[in-house]
Amino acid sequence: MSKLPSLEDFKDRNVVEGSAYYDVDQREAPTTGMEKFKQVVNRTFRFELFIGLWVVLREMIKFDIHTVSYPAEKLPIGPRYRAVHEMQRLWESGTERCIGCGLCEKICISDCIRMDTRIDENSRKEVTEYTINLGRCIFCGYCAEVCPELAIVHGGRYENVSEQRAHYTDFNDMLTPMDMAISGKVAEYPGFGAVTPHEDERIKTTPLAY
Amino acid sequence: MSKTINFTIDGQKVSVEKGESILTGARKNDIYIPTLCHLAKATPIASCRLCVVEVEGSEGFVLSCNTQAVEGIEVKTNSDELYKERQNIMKLYDVNHPLQCGVCDKSGECDLQNKTLEFDVDSQNFAIRDQKRQKKGWGVLSYDPHLCIMCERCTVVCNEVVGSMALYIKPGGYKSLIDNHYSSCIQCGECISVCPVGAMASADFKYTTNVWELESVPSSCAHCSSACNLKYDVKTLGVGETDKAIYRVTNEVAIESLCGAGRFAYDFENRATKDELAFVKAVEAFKGADSIVFNSMITNEEAAVLQALKEKFSYKLINKEAKKYQEFLENFASVSGTKLYSGSLKTIEESDFAVTLGCSISADNPMVRFALNIAHNKRSAYVTCMHPLEDESLRNVITQYVKYEVGSEEGLLAMLCDLVVNEEAREKYSSFFDSLDSGYICGESSVGEEEFGLLYQKLRRKTKPVLVAGADLYNHPRAKNIAKLLGMIAKYSEFDLVIVPPETNSLGVALICDLDSVPGVKSIGYNVKGDFTLSALGEGDLDMPALNQQEGTFTSLDKKVVPLNVAVEFKGYELNDIANALGVKAKNVIDYTATLPQNSGYKDIEFDALENRFTMFEGIRGYELENVNVKGDDSIEEIDDLAEYNGSVIYRCNFPFNQFNSFTNKAHQTESEPFLEGSKQFAIASKISAGDTVRFTMDGKEYIRKFKISKELKGTLALNPVFDSTDNYDEYRYKQVKLEVVNG
Repeated sequence: MSKLPSLEDFKDRNVVEGSAYYDVDQREAPTTGMEKFKQVVNRTFRFELFIGLWVVLREMIKFDIHTVSYPAEKLPIGPRYRAVHEMQRLWESGTERCIGCGLCEKICISDCIRMDTRIDENSRKEVTEYTINLGRCIFCGYCAEVCPELAIVHGGRYENVSEQRAHYTDFNDMLTPMDMAISGKVAEYPGFGAVTPHEDERIKTTPLAY
Repeated sequence: MSKTINFTIDGQKVSVEKGESILTGARKNDIYIPTLCHLAKATPIASCRLCVVEVEGSEGFVLSCNTQAVEGIEVKTNSDELYKERQNIMKLYDVNHPLQCGVCDKSGECDLQNKTLEFDVDSQNFAIRDQKRQKKGWGVLSYDPHLCIMCERCTVVCNEVVGSMALYIKPGGYKSLIDNHYSSCIQCGECISVCPVGAMASADFKYTTNVWELESVPSSCAHCSSACNLKYDVKTLGVGETDKAIYRVTNEVAIESLCGAGRFAYDFENRATKDELAFVKAVEAFKGADSIVFNSMITNEEAAVLQALKEKFSYKLINKEAKKYQEFLENFASVSGTKLYSGSLKTIEESDFAVTLGCSISADNPMVRFALNIAHNKRSAYVTCMHPLEDESLRNVITQYVKYEVGSEEGLLAMLCDLVVNEEAREKYSSFFDSLDSGYICGESSVGEEEFGLLYQKLRRKTKPVLVAGADLYNHPRAKNIAKLLGMIAKYSEFDLVIVPPETNSLGVALICDLDSVPGVKSIGYNVKGDFTLSALGEGDLDMPALNQQEGTFTSLDKKVVPLNVAVEFKGYELNDIANALGVKAKNVIDYTATLPQNSGYKDIEFDALENRFTMFEGIRGYELENVNVKGDDSIEEIDDLAEYNGSVIYRCNFPFNQFNSFTNKAHQTESEPFLEGSKQFAIASKISAGDTVRFTMDGKEYIRKFKISKELKGTLALNPVFDSTDNYDEYRYKQVKLEVVNG
């Protein structure tokens, strides 16, 4: 490695040849009984413990430490990770995607989703209340998978601290902020329940008379 | 004359009565044939063609719903060709059907969804240019033609069951639509209930919840004496709430019907908490009172509690309306020999000749109207309505309308007796028949002799005649003799009789309670104003549960004991708690179900043992009362002089027709303001005009009502609705009044 890797390099968690991550002092694992016995004897009587301490000391005095100082720094979470839900908006218009079909409410196996709907002034179905009881939620991802509008998705917010479980989710916290939606800063969600690549090729077209 | 037809379906031996269809045979034997448009209560529509079957030896497919079974045929309900045919039908239904199941009210209970999945339609190879269509709103209905599959169920029930003929098909091939003669629509919502897709929807229920979140509570309708089966669909009030609310009412649409009040007036529950102070006061009040005033909006069990209280503390039980009805039934029984009348709604439906007398059918009991209409359509029954008020909305139900002068009911009934009773009665009551002066009666009632002649002529060769007597008669000054005349018809003619109970559980109260006629000094009112008032409307001194918050039973018009269940929890005190505090002990109020008086025909059956289930063809609910034989004074008086009513006559009758009582007036969809309603003719005769506020005295009360001209009414009668009060009455329903205009 020619130059010292940056934190950004470490955020690429794809460990391959040439990435910021490398193996340190890897040894062949013992296979036969005799070798295992020798390893035990060595570790007990030849102070191998101090070899490990030496490795730590050696790496420390090199002064290229890459400890992620959590919570000031956070490593990103993979797109398929299932943490606290997010409710998405449509691009450009910013309209809430949720149509109140209730499939998430129905499919939820821990019965933690509830919604209220009504008919709005334009005689469309409007969701007036939507809650997820995260104290009950087991983050199975069924709600995101069943959602026909890709409205409810799993986000990356995996840290939850509150005095009350009820604080865990507020619909407005989950909802994509309007300014981000309108300015198009939100990328289409790639994770759990999202449309898979090449979906277009699998669609059967309906014949049209015009 | 029914003959049994034997044939086989899929190798299984099946037998049906002559005239029944292959589909009926299959359903009787639990053999599945898919259908989309079929309704057991109506004639086969045959629009969906899903019920096609193969019959050995006949070419092509046969529609099983409207093909009568023939001796010895071999029917096949399933084959590759049939599957393909049905799959293609579903594909055609799905052409241009909007893929908005996510926001469709019907999603989850939609026949189109079910059958599309059942026949595995996962791709579409038919197409046609879509049409631009207009959504419509008709009061409680909302119609979305895009979703409509033109199965015609709605128009068929509107014609055959309801008889208002409001809905019709605007033909145009693929452009066909359902349209509504809105002025004849009675807002019963039958079309909503039968629609297999989301096209006909309830405007109020729309988008309030997804149907699978609802829990169904089977119960009985609390608004009229039919006590129809219904299911209250309940869910929590909203996110974060634990209290339940009723979201809508459903029923077994294929075999039963509901009127507008049953379907839309469901949220009359009384939300209350345990008010201990009021309870203590109530117990004190009971200790100090000598009478209990109540109406018939109670269950059989509550009536039994009241009766038990009477037996222990000798309270006077005052229920004017039920008392009159009780006396009427007793007088009827003294001549007929049976405690109860013989008919039921089913008898009316299956009759071929029906006469109604003194019953404002639309207002008093819509199920009688539906039954008459079914008889009219299915059995080509000859339906005669005798009433002083011409009800325009019954136009399509009635064959002959006999309008008589108010007060002449006794004379008319005597004339009817003369037409229908047999020789035995003529001999026994020879002096009565000898003194019958038909000229006088016809003159006074202004019913021509030719009208009776026509009736007599039509009655010949009819085998199942039925006579429906209504609430006008029970409070009639000559009620005693009228009841006895009805008894004579019941005993000495082929007629089946139905004596429509005036209120929801009047029959139950009449059979269970010993009612008194002279009120006491200090009274407890139950749903009626008393010195201390218990009220299920939440306006008394102690809150009581409403009828959708109670377990119990009703005694219905069909003489059946039908169960009620709790749809919305009641957190306060009920009558049984007061009775317990007074020493009339029972753990639950339903403990009284098995103890209802057996000399009135009730049976020793526990509440939890009451059946409430359905087959493909009928509902099996509760049990039927035994019609006990009784003996009494069977003498009949001669006809009295017929009273004359001139000038402005007002009729105590609820209007609009889906208003029955203060409970329907509490429900948010049926709530309305009471008007004095009359025809233009009435306005001219009484020298008042629309919009006038008038004052008049009726039933011992002074009313100040706004006058409204109604196009549906004819003649010189006005209707005074009383759904804004919980009182009940023992006065004759017609009253000649002086109208005083008090504008401003």
